[in-house]
Amino acid sequence: MEAILKAAGLKKYYGKGDSLVRALDGVDLEIERGKFTAIIGTSGSGKSTLLNMLGGLDTPSGGSVRIGNTLLAELNSEQAAVFRRKQIGFIFQNYNLVPVLNVWENIIFPISLDGRKADTEFVMQVVKLLGLEKKLDSLPNNLSGGQQQRVAIARALAGKPSIVLADEPTGNLDSKTGDDVVGLLKMTGREFRQTIVMITHNPEIARMADRIIRIEDGRIVPQ
Amino acid sequence: MENKAGAKTKKDAGYRNPVKLLSARMFRQNRGRNMVAAVAITMTTLMFTALFTLIQSMNENLVEMTFRQTGYDAQVSFKKIDPEQVRRLDAHPDVKETGESIVLGLAENEGLAGYQVEIRWGSESYARHSFSYPDTGRMPENADEVALDSITLRRLGIPAKTGERVTLEWRKDLTEETAEYIRADFTLCGIWEGNESGYAGMAWVGREYADRMTGGVYNTEGRILGQYMAQVSLYRDGNIENTMDLILKDTGLEGLEYGINLAYASEMGAAAQEMTLPAYFGMALVCLAGYLIIYNIFQISITADVRFYGQLKTLGMTARQLKKLVYGQAGRLCAIGIPAGLAAGWFLGLVLVPAFTGILGGGGRVSPHPVIFAGSSVFAGITVFVSCLRPARLAGRVSPVEALRRSDADGRMRKTKRGRGSASLSAISAMAWANLWRNKKRTVTAVVSLTLGFVLLSGFYAKNVSFDMEKYLGELTVADFTLEDATSADYIHGYDPQGTTLGDGLAGRLESMDGVEDAGHLYSHQFTWQMDAQTVENLKGYYTQEVLDRWGRYEADGPGMFREAVDKREAEAVVFGMDGIPLEAVTQPEYLLDGSFDAEAFAGGGYVLAVGPAVGEREEGSALPAPSVGSTIELEGNRYTVMAVVFPLHPVDGGASEQGAGDSMELHFILPSDVFCRLWPENTLRKLYVNVEDGYLGAVQEWLDGYMRDVDGSLPLTSRETMAGQYEAETRSAAVTGNAVSIVIAMVGVLNFINSMVTAILSRRREFAVIQSVGMTKKQLCGMLVYEGLFYAAITLAVSYPLSAAAVGIVVRAMVEGGFATFRFTLFPLAVCTPVLVAFAVLVPFFCFKDLEKRSIVERLRME
Repeated sequence: MEAILKAAGLKKYYGKGDSLVRALDGVDLEIERGKFTAIIGTSGSGKSTLLNMLGGLDTPSGGSVRIGNTLLAELNSEQAAVFRRKQIGFIFQNYNLVPVLNVWENIIFPISLDGRKADTEFVMQVVKLLGLEKKLDSLPNNLSGGQQQRVAIARALAGKPSIVLADEPTGNLDSKTGDDVVGLLKMTGREFRQTIVMITHNPEIARMADRIIRIEDGRIVPQ
Repeated sequence: MENKAGAKTKKDAGYRNPVKLLSARMFRQNRGRNMVAAVAITMTTLMFTALFTLIQSMNENLVEMTFRQTGYDAQVSFKKIDPEQVRRLDAHPDVKETGESIVLGLAENEGLAGYQVEIRWGSESYARHSFSYPDTGRMPENADEVALDSITLRRLGIPAKTGERVTLEWRKDLTEETAEYIRADFTLCGIWEGNESGYAGMAWVGREYADRMTGGVYNTEGRILGQYMAQVSLYRDGNIENTMDLILKDTGLEGLEYGINLAYASEMGAAAQEMTLPAYFGMALVCLAGYLIIYNIFQISITADVRFYGQLKTLGMTARQLKKLVYGQAGRLCAIGIPAGLAAGWFLGLVLVPAFTGILGGGGRVSPHPVIFAGSSVFAGITVFVSCLRPARLAGRVSPVEALRRSDADGRMRKTKRGRGSASLSAISAMAWANLWRNKKRTVTAVVSLTLGFVLLSGFYAKNVSFDMEKYLGELTVADFTLEDATSADYIHGYDPQGTTLGDGLAGRLESMDGVEDAGHLYSHQFTWQMDAQTVENLKGYYTQEVLDRWGRYEADGPGMFREAVDKREAEAVVFGMDGIPLEAVTQPEYLLDGSFDAEAFAGGGYVLAVGPAVGEREEGSALPAPSVGSTIELEGNRYTVMAVVFPLHPVDGGASEQGAGDSMELHFILPSDVFCRLWPENTLRKLYVNVEDGYLGAVQEWLDGYMRDVDGSLPLTSRETMAGQYEAETRSAAVTGNAVSIVIAMVGVLNFINSMVTAILSRRREFAVIQSVGMTKKQLCGMLVYEGLFYAAITLAVSYPLSAAAVGIVVRAMVEGGFATFRFTLFPLAVCTPVLVAFAVLVPFFCFKDLEKRSIVERLRME
């Protein structure tokens, strides 16, 4: 099967000398197109750092990330931003909603930034699945944590990206909704041949994935 | 619900410009911050408007003044031209308008001494462009009609009413003493307001009268009767010489002599530029002050929002879009701040206009030209844009991941280790000090901004108070009242040494008035003097090529006159006889260029004072263009020893040369008045000086006003008080603008200071909640914030005092040096501002703390 995401010798160091922190210390990873991958590991193991590297949000201290035919290191920041909003959907732990935009505007924001029109039928389908249809005019501040997380998920899916990177997307959701969301992610992933990489603490959720990668002290633990 | 969702899908499939939408929403979100920024932009615009108003009105006034001095506002004038040639010029497509005039002669009525009134026929256009078109009545149409200005009428003692009888005396040939006087009677048919700064007035007569006098003969060599003149107005002001040469070529009139109006000459532009240079300097300062605050506001808000910008970046916003977002905010702020600033500037203009109208006695005016508003908007806009450059770049460069880690710091914060002791006062103050440097840029910018305001304020104030009116007036007048013979300053006909203006009656009555403390007299006599060898040597030594070049620049004939004098060893000697005020004034130690003055010996009669050049400091032993001190010279047969060389004080030896004297180089000498009167008893008083006790100034002025009204309207009178008032009127606008700008700059500094403190506190709301939650008391927190404010103020003052002292002590001292100023070191404005600043430094953190207190610790902990 074709690998859509390839990381080779990925390293991220912070600090110098005695205080040197090896957040990632040589990660080699290949993720196949259309697969649902879960990354698990303890706090501080380097999960979030790895995800940020894979999405091109952070620049590695060493090694490389290739998405499809694009080597992320070869893009300047402008090109990287454009690449991200076209190819990758992010779901963040802290939602990252734009406080001054309402729910609908938040969902279609990355698409608008790209100068495209949203596939409204599809977006509404996602909205309904996430139970947000009554909240489209609300501002993020007036939503509960779970609702905000669902908006973030809807936003990540709205642009039909080829890769969805999710950092603890179910952390703030009750287990029923959490299961539904992951089910949804899996479903859309299959339907649009999306590749999903998700960080989670929840073993139940991790078990729904096609593949589980465990990370410890900045390295992948061989299964 | 389906419906609503359905409607939504149709309406908002995507918004056309997400950056614009976000910009608008963010703008609404940050009301307080935007208000501060808008006020800053308003103030910046206001300052630009004030300065542009000043520059424009200065330029306009200068041009207007030159128009009035040159006497016309057309671009080109012809002193001698044939009527036929005028018609050819008039037909040329590049010529807008032509005006013609025929000169008959000069009115020589007794009351007109010292004021030139030209009897002429003129076309309507010529009169209009010469500022001499009747505003009451009309131009003459018949042979017995005349139109005159108000000054001429006042001097002739004729009421300014059409229909009055006017008699003008004139000669057809001015060069011949024997030419017969013509006394012509006219009916007054038109009047206009006379122009005090113009050198001459017009007496318009009808064409019929003019033709009868000239007999149709024009431009005879050496005669002014029948001189046919023309003025040509062009469509464009630029490149007049080329245009004119082209026109002359097209009309076949090559080589015809013409003059370009001085007001259009490029030298005028240079002069205007020199006058407005300080205003341009002010503009640079305004730019800087505006930059400091707008930059700080944007820098602070972007630092505060850096997390938000990082988020946007993770969502795929490009650096360019982020920059657009920042500029969008700036644009919105400009849309509010600039119009508000223009409106405020317009109001300030209303305040400044009365100040301007004092200039140039009626010639001054101020027009709210659209260019002022356009220029101010553009400059304010540029300032805002430049101020945003760095913050926008910062926003664009935010790394999406780093953004998540920022707090109230500019990125290079060093962690300081603090002791474990209890939070004593010193610990609290240490914490406050450390907090100050968490955002170095903000602190430094606010301090610089405030310091700039303080330094400017101190400088302006010191410069204004150092102006010494006595010193200024000392160069213009040496007495409370100076009366002169009507011909004393008549540069056209020359001074009449037997003039009758200051008859014994007037002088006697004035000197015997109550309150008169002191008086002085000045007589003068002029003759051609055969220079001695030493004087010629002295002249040669002083007038080096460099000095001659400088002289030639403002008096083209000067160097020629010098060479002729040296070659022929001949110069015009003007001997002044003086006593009292003028003699005391000119022999003050600071005015002695060489030698020393012994009043008793001088009164003895064997000595003479020579008048030197208007030079300041002089190198020891360098030559002076006068006879050497100690040498003996012969003046009309009498021998005198030169006692000293004195400075040429204008109120003493200034004035016109004697009638009939040629254009030669002049050397001035001073003798005691009794010696003078024995030698030239027929010469009458030229100048009369009177000093009056302060309490009697009004009474004497009133008496003189009455004398001028009832007896002699042409009496030239200089009054010290009038001159002081005139000076104040002339400089009021510049003073008002300077003060207004430095006060606004100081206000901008204070605003910057307050904004920096407020944002520093508000952005740390959560942090304060955290330290409070682990045990800091309200009192300690409030104390810490007040300490921060006090440190802010202390740093500002610590920088402002030495800088202001340097600005005043070095820059202002150098600026006022040599001018009409007595330097006095003062930091008065700073002393006034110090308690105000300290009060702000305590009150602002205190009220911020009160605001914080409105929300519970838990509430604040939950805040992002």
